[in-house]
Amino acid sequence: MIRSRTRRLVIAPAILAVGAIAFTACSASDSGSEEGSADATGGTLTIYTAAEEVSFDPASSQNLAITTLGLNARRLTAWSTDPNAPTEVVPDLATDTGTASDDGKTWTFTLKDGLTFEDGTPITSEAIKFGLERSFAPELSGGLTYHKLLLEGGEDYTGPFDGEHLDSIETPDDQTIVFHLNRPYGDFSWVASTPAFAPVPLESGDPETYAQDPVASGPYAVESYQAGNQVVLTRNEEWDPETDEARTGGPDEIVFKLAQDASVVAQSLIADRSDAQDAFLAGFVPPAQLVQAQNDPNVGDRLVTSGPGALEYLAINTESPQLEDVRVRQALQYAVDKTAYLTAKGGEISGDIATTLITPGIEGREEFNLYAEDPAGDVDEAKRLLDEAGASDLDLRLVVTEDNVAAAEAIQQSLARVDISVTIQPLDNAAWSAEVAAGDGSAYDLTLSSWQPDIPSPNANLTPLFDSSQIGGGNYNLARYSNPEVDEALLAASSELDADAAAEQWTAIDRTILEDSPVVPLIYSRNSFLHGSGVTNFEIGEFPSYPNYLKVTLGE
Amino acid sequence: MTHLVRLVRGIAVLLVVTALTFAIFYLGPADPALSMCGKPCSPENLEAARAFMGFADPWWQQLWTFLTSIFTGRSFGSESVAIECAAPCLGYSFQMHQSVTSLIVERFPVSFAVALGAIVLQTIVGVALGSLAARRQGSLIDRAITGGAVIAASAPSYVVGLLLLLAFAFSFDLLPTGGYVPFADDPLDWFLHLLLPWITLAVLNGAVYARLVRSSMIEQLGLDYVRTARAAGLGERRIDRYALRNLALPVTTLTALDVGALLGGTVITERVFGLPGMGQLLLDATGTIDLPIIVGATLFSALLVILANLAADLAGPLLDRRLATTKKSLRPTRQKVNTP
Repeated sequence: MIRSRTRRLVIAPAILAVGAIAFTACSASDSGSEEGSADATGGTLTIYTAAEEVSFDPASSQNLAITTLGLNARRLTAWSTDPNAPTEVVPDLATDTGTASDDGKTWTFTLKDGLTFEDGTPITSEAIKFGLERSFAPELSGGLTYHKLLLEGGEDYTGPFDGEHLDSIETPDDQTIVFHLNRPYGDFSWVASTPAFAPVPLESGDPETYAQDPVASGPYAVESYQAGNQVVLTRNEEWDPETDEARTGGPDEIVFKLAQDASVVAQSLIADRSDAQDAFLAGFVPPAQLVQAQNDPNVGDRLVTSGPGALEYLAINTESPQLEDVRVRQALQYAVDKTAYLTAKGGEISGDIATTLITPGIEGREEFNLYAEDPAGDVDEAKRLLDEAGASDLDLRLVVTEDNVAAAEAIQQSLARVDISVTIQPLDNAAWSAEVAAGDGSAYDLTLSSWQPDIPSPNANLTPLFDSSQIGGGNYNLARYSNPEVDEALLAASSELDADAAAEQWTAIDRTILEDSPVVPLIYSRNSFLHGSGVTNFEIGEFPSYPNYLKVTLGE
Repeated sequence: MTHLVRLVRGIAVLLVVTALTFAIFYLGPADPALSMCGKPCSPENLEAARAFMGFADPWWQQLWTFLTSIFTGRSFGSESVAIECAAPCLGYSFQMHQSVTSLIVERFPVSFAVALGAIVLQTIVGVALGSLAARRQGSLIDRAITGGAVIAASAPSYVVGLLLLLAFAFSFDLLPTGGYVPFADDPLDWFLHLLLPWITLAVLNGAVYARLVRSSMIEQLGLDYVRTARAAGLGERRIDRYALRNLALPVTTLTALDVGALLGGTVITERVFGLPGMGQLLLDATGTIDLPIIVGATLFSALLVILANLAADLAGPLLDRRLATTKKSLRPTRQKVNTP
């Protein structure tokens, strides 16, 4: 899931490439759109996407809780997003966001009364259990796997299709579901909003067909599916808005137009053509059209830019012999010119300068800066640290994906200020994944990457990037950072059930890691989206940097 | 005998293409199992995904399995929920949840529709403009046509496509900006959606035809038989007909090559106009490292090119009986210049 353009629609944005946006511009607008009654209904909303297919199989989906899959499938919990407040976890199929036992290892959820699938059959705890069990089957791999690492006995379980069941999920009655975890986990309410927690009726769920022919629990059912062409969603009459605080179910029909050229669609949206008025583009606005949209008075607030979101960073390979000394790594913190990087990325509309690892919009985040006050860096301090470490003639390999070359040059030039020579090696996405994310670490000294957490918890910011278990094998600890104390602290903080206490611990870990300097935080990127004049309630919350599809409406 | 040689040669080419595609992608650094591993990706999950997708075997074994499953089909996964890929199985795309064969069956009609219209349009436009230029050699029209042809032939297809979109879709709002409507759903809408892609390709390829026809035509018009015919008092229209008939062979050869290439998908044109054809399929698969699609679609495209060339070879003797090796030609045996 590296570098945004996957064929899957929006884009489990773990690591997402914020395309190089080639200019500087005025400050980003608010991430809201025009006012409109939240409960306006009717009309056909068109969503244009470059993706060839959209998968509606929750087991293999990495969708955020507020995008495509959320239109069709509800989960135990959901997200409430707001452009001016951190995202909150809210009950979805469950009556609350879950109750933990005192030791934090057992979580219990109760389903609301009267919930039904699109065919009128009741949504039971069994259906949720079946949905989760499916996600363990090898033929349905590829989704978010947080629950698979937490549920007791999950490591040996291979799915329900052989008639085997996962005993750590109990369903004492039709409305109660109990999860037994292998360790205490404070964020389980959030994990319960990931796709695999969607119900799947027991007699359905064929791995070969369910992605295109799912059974709806949310406001929209899949009416027709033509891969590469279009997907039509129509209203699921069984869905009851009274039971759902995350979705408004505005449009009567939603059509996904697949395999679209983003530039052409962006042009249509800018011109507000008749077929693009009740529509939006799922992907980011391409650089050329972004300039055009900003300068076109007719576009106005139809161009919606998110607040600061995903962390873009320079990962320092801590296993590289030249970078083993922490003082050398700290020198890089002072040497890097973040302003130049931001300019290479397109300027202010593309992001804000970053100083912490936990990203904005996440509850409990604390802003701090351990290194140079000036985002352009502190060359003298960097040189002092390098001298102290006795490091000279540093020659580093910066391995990046092809779309990051301009940004890499900004890094190269800023490090040249302290006499560190940098060789840039651009790779295509697949080769980069293989060499950097899945390699043995010998191929690079530095790399550029970007991370947006899958759930709005500091845990999702820090554990995937800095836990020693996440080194190599296609995971994202690209700095190959291994610190037993940090591992332990990550475990402790993620086990903490009290939110305030956890937040304090997360901030402390953020500081500890940055003192070790395995990565240089560069910017929190902003994403820009375009919609037609008929679209209302097109809003981007503080997290994630994507519009909330579940609340988009048409008309006033 | 020669047909047999052609057949064997064709099959050999297909085998080489398959083996090369395999080598390039399977031996490269990319690991297709990574995309199926999930997030976070545990080593056990990665191993399971690799085994399930059939990428755990050595590459030569994978190649052998691929080749045999074209005839026998194969299945992926455990007995309980095996994913079946029936013969002719060109692999299974786990990202698209579909066998490559069924993807090709779905996408090919789109590329076929694009190719058919483009071929017709570009041949007509190319032959008409080319012969017109040849007839008026050295005139303003000739220069305009040859000049225009150079520009058109060297313009990248996305430029032509976007210009046409700008003119007909954005400025005048006459035609849709993209997408595809199956013929069976609405023939008129089908036509309207394909018109701009056809014109785009016709502009690009038609220019090549125009240049070919112009130069061959000029050559023909300078030959003895034309002079004789003219001396005999034959009308210029009639002379044109004879000259053009002699162009049938080179034009057919060129068309055959184009048919093969166009059926295999037009990457850029399909992308610009949002057409779900073979080119789009292949392009996206390259981006997402969907190896089964890359290998399967490449093999299929190669097959199309080979078939198209074969068709051109076979058509040759029909169009020019000097190429016929047997006495049983379908054309009249006497090639005579009509006398008045």
